[in-house]
Amino acid sequence: MASLMVGAFYNPHLGERLAGASGIDHLAMADPPRPDDPWWPRIRERYTLLLHDYLGQLSEPLDERAIARARSLADLYKTPWVAEHFQCLHTEDGTYNLNYVFPPLYTEEFLERFVVNANALQARLDQPLVMENIPGFFDVKASRMPEAVWLRRFFERTKAGFLLDLPHIWLEAHYHGVDPKTFLADFPLERVVELHVAGVEMDRDLEGPWIAPTEPSDTMLEFLAHAVERCPQAKAVTFDAFSPSLSAEVLQRSVERIREAL
Amino acid sequence: MSDRAIQDTLIRALADAPFRSTPGWRDQVLADPVRVERFARFLARHFYYERLMHFFKYSRALAKVTGRSPETVLTGAGFEALLPVLVLGSRASAEAVAKLAVDQVRAGTRAVVPYLGDLLSYESAMMTVESGARIWSDGSSTAAAKQQWSVPMRVEGTMLLDLTYDLPVVLPRLLGPWTEVPQPPREPTRLLIARSPHGRVSVARTTTTIDTLLELADGRKSLDDLARDAGLRPAELQATLEGLVDIGAVRFSHGS
Repeated sequence: MASLMVGAFYNPHLGERLAGASGIDHLAMADPPRPDDPWWPRIRERYTLLLHDYLGQLSEPLDERAIARARSLADLYKTPWVAEHFQCLHTEDGTYNLNYVFPPLYTEEFLERFVVNANALQARLDQPLVMENIPGFFDVKASRMPEAVWLRRFFERTKAGFLLDLPHIWLEAHYHGVDPKTFLADFPLERVVELHVAGVEMDRDLEGPWIAPTEPSDTMLEFLAHAVERCPQAKAVTFDAFSPSLSAEVLQRSVERIREAL
Repeated sequence: MSDRAIQDTLIRALADAPFRSTPGWRDQVLADPVRVERFARFLARHFYYERLMHFFKYSRALAKVTGRSPETVLTGAGFEALLPVLVLGSRASAEAVAKLAVDQVRAGTRAVVPYLGDLLSYESAMMTVESGARIWSDGSSTAAAKQQWSVPMRVEGTMLLDLTYDLPVVLPRLLGPWTEVPQPPREPTRLLIARSPHGRVSVARTTTTIDTLLELADGRKSLDDLARDAGLRPAELQATLEGLVDIGAVRFSHGS
């Protein structure tokens, strides 16, 4: 395996610290830079940037406006790959929107939708597309196949890369009462290009753990080391925290601990 | 029912609390109702956290003098009481949550921020105008439809806000470093707040021309009628309407 880049998300409120930080190889961009961000020019000059914005949900075709935006951001960042999510978070008519990642039903119909629309998007991009797994907090009876099978079939038909979000896997395993390593084994790890790792915390509404902008636990980092060994094509590991409440210390320490764990 | 339609039902259930208590949802038994309810509450808190952090960022910047951060309402009893009636993205829900934030900040120290009332009206209006269904994809029919549009109409939800202070002058300064609270000039100011079909919220100072057009653009008057009633030359009318359409304050509908 080639040496892995270890990085984080660009959090604009930490711009000054990130502009002068060391030990961070790349920054993922969840939002376009604000026009008034004084640190953006230095960030852009200094880091490898990964496009990780919301481009659109691939249950529907992206329109020309969305594709133009994706191309423009990819060009701005000079990103080595373009990331999107396996998500379907707003209704087809636009009336209801969850504003939070939410997985599609794992069915033949949705597989066909995502394959067709991802292939159409890939044809318009100059960079490879990678797709990130999204956790379900509950099972939906209308789903017809395990997530891992659905994802494997998607990657076989699109040749896209896999952005493996490990806390998402860990959470799903937790809520299904199975061992995370066992749960992970079914996913198409040979397609993984990038891994996400983050902390989890108890959530009062969920009455259980969920992703939080905190340091990854030792258990999560051990899970990361286990996963990376099984992802021969992986090129980057990203500390997945993007929040106004994230401190520079937590970000820097998390990246250092990720590096130590690998 | 297609899988996409089932997914839409699921999304609606998570976004629309009253819908979750209807037989139409309950009888489908698509998922464990306890888990769905927990996740819906999680989503609601997240949804309004993002909006309060964004639209009330000026009040948040003033928290060091008011002693009140708007987003803390999300862990209070007022928000808990709203959870059974919230519909994520609806105007009524946006107004209700914004009111909680306004009440929270207003109860803090106000002496050094004489324009706090204006500021809270502004932030609340921004959050309210942002609500509502939005267009996620332009599709392929937009260009053809545009060619048929001819009758301008003020978009529902577009807001005119009258302020005692010239608030736009001070807003950027509030987000920068300061030790003494930045103060705007006390000067009557009228702002237009509108949202594009794709959900982008814009603010503009109004002019007499804009005020007149917004009043007259009722979806029945043609461009010629508008130009005559507003006393505008065609070029002036066109330029103003283009600006209003761009920010989402006016749209064109089919003439009757």
